[in-house]
Amino acid sequence: MPEDVAVATVSELPEGTHKVVRAGRRELGLFNVGGTLYALPNLCPHQRGPLCEGRVSGTVECTEETGWRLSWRHEGEILTCPWHAQEFHIPTGTCLAFPQIRLKSFPVRVEGDAVLVTV
Amino acid sequence: MRLEELFIVDGDVHVHESPAALAEYAPDPWDVALREIAKIPERYMDLPGLSPHGELSIPFPGGLERDTTVTSAAEMHEELAELHIDRAVLFPDHLLMIAKLPNADWAGSVARAYNQWLEEQWLAEKDSLLGAIVVAPQDPAGSAADIRRHAGRNGWRCVYLPACAVEPLYGHRSYDPVYEAACETGLPVVLHSVTTVHPVFPFQLHAFESASARHSVAHPWAMMANLTSMMETGVFVRYPDLQVAVMEAGMSWMPFLMMRLDKEFSEHRRAMPALKKRPSEYLAGVYVGTQPIEEPPRRGDLLKVIELFDGEDRLVYASDWPHHDFDHPQFVAGYPFDDEMRRNVMGLNAARLFGIDVPEGPYA
Repeated sequence: MPEDVAVATVSELPEGTHKVVRAGRRELGLFNVGGTLYALPNLCPHQRGPLCEGRVSGTVECTEETGWRLSWRHEGEILTCPWHAQEFHIPTGTCLAFPQIRLKSFPVRVEGDAVLVTV
Repeated sequence: MRLEELFIVDGDVHVHESPAALAEYAPDPWDVALREIAKIPERYMDLPGLSPHGELSIPFPGGLERDTTVTSAAEMHEELAELHIDRAVLFPDHLLMIAKLPNADWAGSVARAYNQWLEEQWLAEKDSLLGAIVVAPQDPAGSAADIRRHAGRNGWRCVYLPACAVEPLYGHRSYDPVYEAACETGLPVVLHSVTTVHPVFPFQLHAFESASARHSVAHPWAMMANLTSMMETGVFVRYPDLQVAVMEAGMSWMPFLMMRLDKEFSEHRRAMPALKKRPSEYLAGVYVGTQPIEEPPRRGDLLKVIELFDGEDRLVYASDWPHHDFDHPQFVAGYPFDDEMRRNVMGLNAARLFGIDVPEGPYA
């Protein structure tokens, strides 16, 4: 049965920051992207690296929409695995190189100052 | 099969040789130069005079930023134990680019300083750590003497031929003293490259925009170029006892090179006049490091590639720890090998290549 686990306080997670927390037997990364909270597994689907210990940034895109020129996009929304640098879009969990790969995303809600994750 | 049940030998990990550490082992005036270089804030394998990399890529925030280094034997032993690696062969960081150094005396002295430093500070400290004697390609005679000096002492298991930016290529007769010393001491030679832009074959790498494009082709090209050169001048025939291994180029180019050289040989035998059999039969004796292991969408396809170069008995697990593209042993052991092949690839092939005793256990 899914359960709600208190994993952090809101004040621990200002906008633009992230941290690794434990929820039961899982390790999760908690992200505050523009005021919205996300929880992703701290386990890279590639070689099982500690994904959420990686850095958050934007990324370079080159699409028809950018006129096939390099453009800096998704500032603050891209997580890079510290092991082999695979990039993931935090709001959707989508792997940029292999979009068919999507991280499991755990529902997050705030009650008072507590951040609760459903695991 | 759990990692604990395997005897794991890692054919390629990297120690970080700081210029200050090497200065303690270098002769006049190179100790002075190394202390001067030590004052320069270090960037990842990019020091003027010592590892003049010259990065061309344009930096952006985030993305790949793995510049981890391991600076002591104790630290390395601990990190490898965490990865369940039982033995590991140590290669340098900065000296990966030693072939770029234009001053032969400097290059030879730095290589000798490194070898002495490694013997005293690493090999003497931990039995799990094994040494690769660094050759300065600019100084074959000095390097041959250094091989003879260290071989047989604790921990040395191979000779490292830096394959990045090397000129002439390793088939050139000037390297004969190195091969003679390797055969005489019974140590295999291991070619290992790195990515850098340098105006010698096969590194016309400034043509690419990204470090990734350069990296994609630099390592396999270095191996293909040097093995072809060694084939041309008959290194494999002239030194039949020489054992050769390649690291950090993956493996999928090997069937290509075998078939390509066989085809050439059938038409141009006189271009490789020393050969007594097909080039592929010599290449079939070359040991190949797994890293960076290819990741085809159907993982089992890699086994077909291995079969094409008959690699089951010569594939050597390598992590490349702690570099950015390291392969975790769990990941490599997870390929759909049968148990015997898994034991061979993860440790027993390397044990044979490097002359490592396999301890009692459920390994063989």
